[in-house]
Amino acid sequence: MTQFWKSGNPFVWLTGAALAASVLMIVGLVLLILFKGLSQFWPSTLAELHLQDGSKVMGEIWDREEIPDAEPGADNASQYRLRLKVANRDLYSLDFRWIDESDIQQRLSPPPAIAIERQEWGNFYGYFVGLKKDGETVAADLVDGWPTIEASLDEMRKLRERIKEIEKSDIGDINHDLERLRLGLRKITLASDTTTAETRQLIADKRAQMADLQAEYLDKEKALADFYGSSRKIVLSMVSVDGHTIDIPVYDIVRIWKPNELSVFGKCGIYLDKLWEFVTGEPRESNTEGGIFPAIFGTVMLVIIMSIAVVPLGVLAAVYLREYARQGVWVRAIRIAVNNLAGVPSIVYGVFGLGFFIYGLGGTLDQLFFSEALPTPTFGTGGIFWASLTLALLTVPVVIVATEEGLAAVPREIREGSLALSATKFETLWRVVLPSAMPGILTGLILAVARAAGEVAPLMITGVVKLAPALPLDGTFPFLHLERKFMHLGFHIYDVGFQSPNVEAAIPMVYSTTLLLLVIVVFLNLFAIYVRNRLREKLAYSAF
Amino acid sequence: MPVAEPETRQPETRKLIPQSDSRARRKRRTLLDNLATKVVGVGGFSIIASILAILLFIFTEIFPLFSNAEVSLSTSFKAQDILAGQGDAADVALLGLNEHQEIGYILSRTGRLSFFAVKDGAEVAHELFSLGEARVTSAIQSLKGKRLTLGTSDGRAILVEIDFGVRFKQGKRSYAPRAKQVADITLDENRSALTSLAAAGDVSETLALSAITDDARVLLYLQQTEESLFGDAETTSSQIELEKIWSGTPASIALDATVRNFYMGSDDGKIYHWTLTPDAAPDFVSAVRVRNSPGAINTLNFLIGGRTLVAGESTGAVSAWFLVRDKTSPAGWRLTRIHEMTPHPSGVTAVAASARGKGFISGDANGGLHLEHTTSERHLASFSRKTGSAIELISYAPKANGALILDSAGEIAHWLVDNPHPEAGLKAFFGKVWYEGYEEPEHVWQSTGGTDEFEPKLSLVPLIFGSLKGTFYTLILSIPIAVLAALYTSQFMHPALRSKIKPTVEIMAALPSVVLGFLGGLWLAPRIEAVVPAVLLMSILIPVIVILAARAWDGVPLRIRNRFRPGIESMLLVPILLLAAWFCLYLNGAIENAFFGGSFKDWVYQTLNVGYDQRNALVVGMAMGFAVIPIIYTISEDALSNVPRTLISGSLALGATPWQTAIRVVLPTAAAGIFTAVMIGLGRAVGETMIVLMATGNTPIMDWNIFNGFRTLSANIAVEIPEAPVGGTLYRVLFLAAMLLFMITFAVNTVAEVVRQRLREKYQRL
Repeated sequence: MTQFWKSGNPFVWLTGAALAASVLMIVGLVLLILFKGLSQFWPSTLAELHLQDGSKVMGEIWDREEIPDAEPGADNASQYRLRLKVANRDLYSLDFRWIDESDIQQRLSPPPAIAIERQEWGNFYGYFVGLKKDGETVAADLVDGWPTIEASLDEMRKLRERIKEIEKSDIGDINHDLERLRLGLRKITLASDTTTAETRQLIADKRAQMADLQAEYLDKEKALADFYGSSRKIVLSMVSVDGHTIDIPVYDIVRIWKPNELSVFGKCGIYLDKLWEFVTGEPRESNTEGGIFPAIFGTVMLVIIMSIAVVPLGVLAAVYLREYARQGVWVRAIRIAVNNLAGVPSIVYGVFGLGFFIYGLGGTLDQLFFSEALPTPTFGTGGIFWASLTLALLTVPVVIVATEEGLAAVPREIREGSLALSATKFETLWRVVLPSAMPGILTGLILAVARAAGEVAPLMITGVVKLAPALPLDGTFPFLHLERKFMHLGFHIYDVGFQSPNVEAAIPMVYSTTLLLLVIVVFLNLFAIYVRNRLREKLAYSAF
Repeated sequence: MPVAEPETRQPETRKLIPQSDSRARRKRRTLLDNLATKVVGVGGFSIIASILAILLFIFTEIFPLFSNAEVSLSTSFKAQDILAGQGDAADVALLGLNEHQEIGYILSRTGRLSFFAVKDGAEVAHELFSLGEARVTSAIQSLKGKRLTLGTSDGRAILVEIDFGVRFKQGKRSYAPRAKQVADITLDENRSALTSLAAAGDVSETLALSAITDDARVLLYLQQTEESLFGDAETTSSQIELEKIWSGTPASIALDATVRNFYMGSDDGKIYHWTLTPDAAPDFVSAVRVRNSPGAINTLNFLIGGRTLVAGESTGAVSAWFLVRDKTSPAGWRLTRIHEMTPHPSGVTAVAASARGKGFISGDANGGLHLEHTTSERHLASFSRKTGSAIELISYAPKANGALILDSAGEIAHWLVDNPHPEAGLKAFFGKVWYEGYEEPEHVWQSTGGTDEFEPKLSLVPLIFGSLKGTFYTLILSIPIAVLAALYTSQFMHPALRSKIKPTVEIMAALPSVVLGFLGGLWLAPRIEAVVPAVLLMSILIPVIVILAARAWDGVPLRIRNRFRPGIESMLLVPILLLAAWFCLYLNGAIENAFFGGSFKDWVYQTLNVGYDQRNALVVGMAMGFAVIPIIYTISEDALSNVPRTLISGSLALGATPWQTAIRVVLPTAAAGIFTAVMIGLGRAVGETMIVLMATGNTPIMDWNIFNGFRTLSANIAVEIPEAPVGGTLYRVLFLAAMLLFMITFAVNTVAEVVRQRLREKYQRL
């Protein structure tokens, strides 16, 4: 035994256990997110449970767990309960229900059960009663009625697109023009003497244009009202398992499926459809359903603008430090300082961004160029531009450090060769040194992007919002709207997971968003490693 | 990349040969080179300078917190000019200002209220109150200056409401001020003059008035108006003359806003306290001697909120008092001196409370004025006209940005006060402060309340404590795992495995903190809550099981053991760890029953006397471990594996076992590197925002208990800064919090960096 302790093997095993624990942690975390993030789109079967008290419930079984002890010592160790997603939020007000297994008399999975995903109120689970058009039943049988349902679904999908087009682009454009005219008017009244004939004419012109636009707006609104009227015409009559009849306008249906009749193939189809909607769709029901496209778009835009800002700044600073500044104690101190800035908490940069960019620069910009919109701030409030600049500041140390490493790695012979051929210092830098240092710069950029994509705290105070009305890039002049607020994947996780009114129903969405963010960040990091290794090899050849 | 393309390089090279280079071109190239040098120099330097200027900017935002108030004289005029020859300084009973400091009023002892423009002293309007033969002998006003109470020489109290009649016309303000008498109450049946007044409440509900008469009696008047079901108002009132239980003569009186407490200051330096109940006689509670050798209590004033009482003495001392819960006193409360303010060189003659925060202006017999704040105990300004005339009346502007002050020479001065952050200060941020309603001085963070009367509690100590607590538990959990794992990876692990494991753990460092926070708060926290005993058990049982596994492995025949490469133990341990963890979870219920009386949470509550928070330091430690472990692991692994091979070979050649070599040679050599790793991990943990925001309850409490939540500096900034008004005190305090974070992490990282560079040099020497 003493031999055993003396050999030190138990301690080696302990250290090994520490490593195994770290690996288990990371693998477990990734598996958890993968499983939770991907499983929520799967259309599971609908179970109909007949309870001891004679009532019936229907839903997807999400979970099974031992009933926590009601009182200590009570013997109910082998008692389990089910977590059922009963949906039908408009009827039950809660999406989930716990049911003790001991209460269940019979468990069925009836083939005619239908699941409907709706625009509002979440899913509906129940049975088909009939399809009504203008109040008259057109189909009372599910098998016969199915093609009709699908046809009307198609029709309504087109109608929805038409309505969306009118609302978003037509009316949106009118509103945009109106706002521009209103601001123009205000600018005239603020800037010039309103008594001269010229300005009066100008004002009258603008007023006339506004009146025209308003008339146009009313027309569109009327058309919209007609469309909305026809959207209520086709109605699906459904009954829930406990006997509530409910009419769902087909217009409100996102998708409809018969989970208990679907083949695996059909389920895959629905799975992919849902996954696609998640990645490309707009959020619904205060972000707890639908897609997260605006958040993906916001994240990407943010990172792109940040990259445009961070690369020139970081490279210029690194070139100065490594190539132009006189090396000495000062430069060494600055180098340590810059290095350490990478370790300063991101929230500190956020505070700086809020104080300096938004209230300082933004407030000044507003007073100089957007005074007609005041007191509504244009740049004097959080927006994608300021958030990007804040992130650029946060990540510039990373780029500086990486670029410096890249510059330091360029062999002296190459520089001296270039200088010996009478190239100037700048020519050597531009044509020889910088290209060789490219891997360093790129690595820095990618690491910066990976860090920026996952950073949330500074964004929370510099312009991220839970629901942005418009994307920062769209078809209205000037196309790129740097002052707009934006959505972000990381903030989406925080907001939906912690600020949403219906957290329980929202959590599956959060897992999927988490998975997406994780994939992006890990991919970017791996890509940085790959690019670095690849370019290193390539340069190893070209250098000699 | 031009380097890689030979066909473009060819002509370039030829052009670069000096002989074929024209003079003009050479000149251009030199010019370009010089220009580039300048651009890079200036640009690079300014970029670095501006990055470092972040600290400077944050500092400029914080600076105003610690600067004093600025008080400047705007105008002054003679009282008798406004009174239009109807009297002099002695004839002024009251002064007042409106919200915008454009209209002031002055009440003469004859009952004439005249409104005047502050800029030139010209009368705008006036009102006459019919007093008959009587004169106004005392007058007070509400904090906002709109409700006046006049005491007359024939024992009446007259209530007056003022309307400044502000109108906006084309962006300009104009005024049509009016005053209306709302009540005329006979306080003293004996018709003596009322020399001092106090009022609380409202005519439409409960109204309390109190007065000192010129024959040194103290009167109380309570009036209750109740609206009956039919909308008729029914008024009941009671009048009491307090029994003379005091020594000396009454000098000042005050009624609190709740109409429950009445105080009287006597000229021998005592404050007498009565409690008031409707339909009953006032109940005398206690008399407190303000200090060992007190002067007369010349003034007694409530600050906004009606809790803090400011007493000004004839010796010039000024102190703030409020009731503190005290079980030993019969009333359950004790009037306690909370703050001692900067004393005046001569007797205090007048005090005016601010309508914005717990500040006041006090004036003395030599004409000196002090601007003070009780919570922060800051003396914000001293100012005076330097004429030496005693201060008679002070009227603090409703927005606390100016004051009208009358001295005994009849001069009315209008002062402008710029006092943006009176509640700030080093003591308020870092010291224990005795807040209103607290039993003792404490560190509290509670920055915003619902009303104007709220006393902001801006102690950063609970937040710093929270940051340290989160960091402490994170490091406690992370350091052993990370350092041991690094030691194993660098010394014992098979190299083929190492090249795969290291990047895997490093990827963990790239996990966005919002992901960790989300999983910590919503996945981990509820699960941990159910199995705390198992988690505690794991920390003991898993090492034991691992050692048992090592023992068992020793027993395995060599034939089988040799099939496995050395340095594979950790992979063999994966199933063992999983099994051990499962075993601990399995035992959870049994342990809970055996040791914790069936419910761990109840046990925590009963034994440690604190509730179990679902989102607590344990959860944060674990979630933040994901962020910190890879950092510590990577840096220590680098330091450990860079220990020169010669040292290790030497040690092994002398017969030391690998473990002895690792622990006696490698670890001490790389100790500095591990220190660096821990420092950088600490820096990350201190400033981490999202994880603590999501995985703790964010309650700013100070308790080291691992089962409680906390609030860190960083999470506090994230939570509060979106709501903080720009340039306000809270906004700047949050900047101060940011600067603290900046300085902590910057210092920690600098230490780490310097140590690392030393280590590098050491390795080069070895």
